[in-house]
Amino acid sequence: MRYLIRNGSIIDPTQRVATVGDVLVTDGKVERLFEIADRAAEQHMVGDDVEIIDARGAVVAPGFTDLHAYLRQPGEEHKETIASGTLAAAHGGFTTVCAMPTVYPTHDTAATVRLVQELARREGHVHVDVVGALTVGREGRALADLAELAEAGCIAFSDGDRALSDSALMRHALTYAAALGLPVMSLGQEARLSAGWAMHEGAVSTRLGLPGFPAAAEEALIARDIALAELTGAHLHICQVSTAGGVSLIRAARARGVRVTADVSPHHLTLTDRWVLGSLAAHDPPPPPQSRPGRKRSPHPELGLPSWFDATRLPPYDPSTRVCPPLRTEEDLEALAEGLRDGTIDAIATGHSPQSRVEKECEYGLAAPGISGLETALALVLSLVHRGEMDLVDLVARLTEGPAQVLDRSPATLRPGARADIVIFDPDATWTVDATRFVSRGQNTPLHGQRLKGQVLLTMAGGRIVFRRDRAGTPEAAPAP
Amino acid sequence: MAPSSTEHPRRRHAIDLDDFSSTEIEEILTTAESMKEVLSREIKQVPALRGRTIVNMFYEDSTRTRISFELAARALSANIVNFSARGSSVEKGESLVDTVRTLQALGADIVVIRHSQAGAPYLVARHFRGSVINAGDGRHAHPTQALLDLFTIRERLGQIHGVHVLILGDIIHSRVARSNLWGLTRMGARVTLCGPATLLGPPAYWTATWPEVRVSYHLDEVLSSADVVMALRLQKERQQAGLLPSLREYTRLYGLNPERLARLGERVLIMHPGPMNEGVEISPEAATAPNAVIEEQVTNGVAVRMALLYRLAG
Repeated sequence: MRYLIRNGSIIDPTQRVATVGDVLVTDGKVERLFEIADRAAEQHMVGDDVEIIDARGAVVAPGFTDLHAYLRQPGEEHKETIASGTLAAAHGGFTTVCAMPTVYPTHDTAATVRLVQELARREGHVHVDVVGALTVGREGRALADLAELAEAGCIAFSDGDRALSDSALMRHALTYAAALGLPVMSLGQEARLSAGWAMHEGAVSTRLGLPGFPAAAEEALIARDIALAELTGAHLHICQVSTAGGVSLIRAARARGVRVTADVSPHHLTLTDRWVLGSLAAHDPPPPPQSRPGRKRSPHPELGLPSWFDATRLPPYDPSTRVCPPLRTEEDLEALAEGLRDGTIDAIATGHSPQSRVEKECEYGLAAPGISGLETALALVLSLVHRGEMDLVDLVARLTEGPAQVLDRSPATLRPGARADIVIFDPDATWTVDATRFVSRGQNTPLHGQRLKGQVLLTMAGGRIVFRRDRAGTPEAAPAP
Repeated sequence: MAPSSTEHPRRRHAIDLDDFSSTEIEEILTTAESMKEVLSREIKQVPALRGRTIVNMFYEDSTRTRISFELAARALSANIVNFSARGSSVEKGESLVDTVRTLQALGADIVVIRHSQAGAPYLVARHFRGSVINAGDGRHAHPTQALLDLFTIRERLGQIHGVHVLILGDIIHSRVARSNLWGLTRMGARVTLCGPATLLGPPAYWTATWPEVRVSYHLDEVLSSADVVMALRLQKERQQAGLLPSLREYTRLYGLNPERLARLGERVLIMHPGPMNEGVEISPEAATAPNAVIEEQVTNGVAVRMALLYRLAG
């Protein structure tokens, strides 16, 4: 099968390309890129046996890689399955998803890793990589058989949404993983400092009377892990950094040569703890300006003030805003965007955490943390581009090249001969989030009913169209079989 | 800015005082005066809420608040049913939302809820067609306690505007402190929060929401300017959690003891939302001093809750 993607704005960070042109895909691989000037050669090469995909006005980029998603299978199929999670990924423009080991049983033996790989091969819509468990049962007491997991094909080790409290064991884990050439992924949460947490600790948690997860609880663990990475020479990857202090620690460590990489989620880049106030924020004075002088921020009146999205649409204490790490402050958002811009943060990772209604339709402090994030990720991070805070090519790099570098593999690319993992998206299309129409089983999002800007039109994984939207009509399209 | 009462001609829920205007609070306190008169009669009952069903939904132990609501409902001739988490469907794992739907199906008009989780009354309000009154949710809010405190201050001092209220003790864990912050600042009182730094947190956490509030860690520096001292209950678990060196040190620095009582003068009101830990945050001498109004607070609580029930359902 051959496809010719025509007239798109081609963005390929690996080739430093940003141009209008066509992409020819043949037998699952990129055959060639044509700039407008190459039209003559194109007509010569492309015969009649080709499906034309019109990408006029849209961006054509390598498919995205998500370093951090909870696919919930095996064990919690009422929340998500590998089939539904990878379909959500396809809708979000992701062609590779790293499955975190928060499953039951966890990825602590080659057997469960192979089960996930097999399910992904048979039922997955996009490519799935498996993150092995760091400790047996993710209990933080004894290392899992890391070499066995590496041999089974795991691409990193992590205890998922649990940070490893035992510092000595973390040291051994880093040392051992380094010998296997794989990164250890760590979530910044010092357990005692965040015990009983419901949301970010600060003025909003004080007003609402909710127990806090202070920024220091994240920073303390990141600092410890960086010290251990420095000691062991291992590759440490910080997942879902959410605080300004965390970004500073990572930046300083990288500057002195520590092998530390990091990712940030779309919601931590765009939403603050004021979302927990929901409609209570409507009568509040706006938060004090914390912007650094000289920072440009062009307001987009069509999507409302003070931030891009309207938190006051939610009721107070809406459990959809509960996520780990918690939504932080405006100041943190700015530091995260700065870190993403300057490369301190390598990748955008969704932290996709689908939950069922049972886990979310309850008291705030009892609700399971998590946001179903794959289907809104692109639109959220594009807001940085629309606000003039980030360059579109750099943003695409953080979704493609950045995560590939974290995994120490060659990035998704539109170079000839590369696997045809491609996303086509319209950065300017506005749409209203309707969580009830998510293909993910998790409808848990604080963004239901919000207007977002930027929409995936087509996702191709390995040369197969796994998602396609009808551009003329409603944003619904039948998923690829 | 508080929404004015004209924007909300009829209040449906009372979850916190943050959405009460000063006018509305005044009206409730004035209604409460009439209710207090009703309670002084020989027949302590009026037919205002006859035929209405109120459910007391208590997920946390409480004696005074539950009984206070019960007496208030009866004095207004409403039917009131008590529901406590122990021995109910909650122990079988029924969710709060399911319980609320059940109470709705049973015909409840008003739910009064006490819950250990902050924000729970908002969840109830979303799934209930009637009115919800918050009788205390986690550390978040206890609006009827704040209203009865306002009533007591107004009754004893003649006004609330300009009065300096010192809230003393375990502020960070206190729903009483938070609701009083809304109520007192809206009525024009000056508020100082005082307690050990571990039970207060950084001042900016408070001033971001209540800019006019003063925060102090030193009781003896702020005591002399107070018109009202509101001591909060200190739970002994705070010491076990490492928030306090010892109860002895707490009592020495923040206890309302006879020496401090002497410095206060006779016009300064001593208040406590109860239950008291006598000998910890308040000495028996202070609790029974002529200017202590702790029992009056309890009496006024019934009148204020009658006024609120009447406003929601009358």
